[in-house]
Amino acid sequence: MKRGLFAKVALPVASVAILLVLWQVVVVLFHVQTYVAPRPLDAIRAVTGNWSLLWPLVWEIIKETVGGFVLGAVVGVFFGVVMSKIPVVQKLLYPTLILSQAVPVIVIAFPLAAILGFGSVKPILAIVVWIVFFPVTVNVIDGLGHVDHDLLNLAKVYGASKWRTFWHIEVPATVSPLFSGLKIGATYAITGAFIGELASPEQVGSTGSSLALYVQHANANFNQAAVFGITLLMALIGVTWFLAVGGLEVLSTPWLRRSTVRHWRRQRIAAPQDGH
Amino acid sequence: MTSPALLELSGVAKSFADTVVLAPTDLAIAEGSFVSIVGPSGCGKSTLFNIIAGLLAPEAGQVSLEGRDIVGATGHVGYMLQKDLLVPWRSVEDNITMAARLTRRVTEADRAEARQIARRYGLGEFLDHYPKALSGGMRQRVAFMRTLVTHQKLLLLDEPFGALDAQTRLEMQRWLLDVWRESGRTVLFITHDVDESIFLSDRILVMSPRPGRIVADLANTLARPRSIDILTDPVFVELKSQIMHLLHGGEQ
Repeated sequence: MKRGLFAKVALPVASVAILLVLWQVVVVLFHVQTYVAPRPLDAIRAVTGNWSLLWPLVWEIIKETVGGFVLGAVVGVFFGVVMSKIPVVQKLLYPTLILSQAVPVIVIAFPLAAILGFGSVKPILAIVVWIVFFPVTVNVIDGLGHVDHDLLNLAKVYGASKWRTFWHIEVPATVSPLFSGLKIGATYAITGAFIGELASPEQVGSTGSSLALYVQHANANFNQAAVFGITLLMALIGVTWFLAVGGLEVLSTPWLRRSTVRHWRRQRIAAPQDGH
Repeated sequence: MTSPALLELSGVAKSFADTVVLAPTDLAIAEGSFVSIVGPSGCGKSTLFNIIAGLLAPEAGQVSLEGRDIVGATGHVGYMLQKDLLVPWRSVEDNITMAARLTRRVTEADRAEARQIARRYGLGEFLDHYPKALSGGMRQRVAFMRTLVTHQKLLLLDEPFGALDAQTRLEMQRWLLDVWRESGRTVLFITHDVDESIFLSDRILVMSPRPGRIVADLANTLARPRSIDILTDPVFVELKSQIMHLLHGGEQ
């Protein structure tokens, strides 16, 4: 257990720390100008020093990321289920969905903002959904398509209805592939929110600004410390969200790690109501 | 065999494309009997099973269970394969009650029955375990309990012990005989293993491919309960040689 924890937490943290130290060493050693690349400590200070100003913007992009992700997950599951259950719909939609992902998001973001309204949060959410739904849909279609055929036949022999077969066999069998899709979506969601803020920049929430605008200004002013600092911060948000979704996966699939059902389920099973 | 037939097939036939998988077949299975089907791959035994289970519609012929026509209808038999088909996300108890869950709401009575049957056959301590924590033999036992609690009179078992090692297999065969005797069900049992078919059944149907058909219908008069001693009984040996000749006769 201790060794497992070491491998899971200490090693990744160490690798990130080493990366930061290397960065610091390279910048100092080769006298890299601050408008080219800042020292990591300066980058971190550029964020922590302006925290009271930045926090509302950060909170805003977190809400956009999480909100868009949840919407994208719902849309992705919906498409996945409908497409795998109705072959005609799958044939009809699959090429279009692939096409939607072949278009660079940064290009589609601006017309999308024009359509849904500049300065509103809608285009931002739409772009996160655009990015998140696809890996979810692909994995759900894959999962539902690979349920053991013999198991489905067994359900048929029992006289199971399609709905019950779907709910008690196909859905649980698709949980793992679903989470593969969700984890891919989780890492990209923050990027989507940032691009969305670039395309729909005005009056986000009550702050009157956005993190994307802030980065643009910093860039224009050669304030690379702020640019790098916020980049690091967004990476941190992305990683945290990925870990949260991963944690949800662990909670949703106890059978992959445990040999017995959880305690609260066990009590019901062990209830001695049958007189033994 | 004077008891009335539980299952009756008359003129049941099936082809895929130009291949006759099952030539017109008549068959009557007496209630409470244990009947084995042996035959090489492609002799139509699984097709026959799938027709009885209602998964396949025959081209011609009648299938009736207790006098009712069940052609193409599911929900009338218990069914078990070489693969245990336990779902990994459910406990042993929930796997045993799977048939109920798939057809209606699972009741406390279903759960109580699952617990009782698991305890009775030595898996009481594993009720809250996930299937992956069980050995192959235990998993097959759970799969069989899941089949039993469907309360179907006819159980179709398609090579249920085919993937087990010889030791576990023999253990499972003896266990199956015990459960069968206590439950009074009718068993139709597919196997590749001639010894297994003789050890278990009252009656052995030998099938042959191209076209798939029943070539012999042999009664097994060995007394029950049977112990492993019968494996060397002259009646057993004679029956085995008869079946071996039917299966491989043309090759000598």
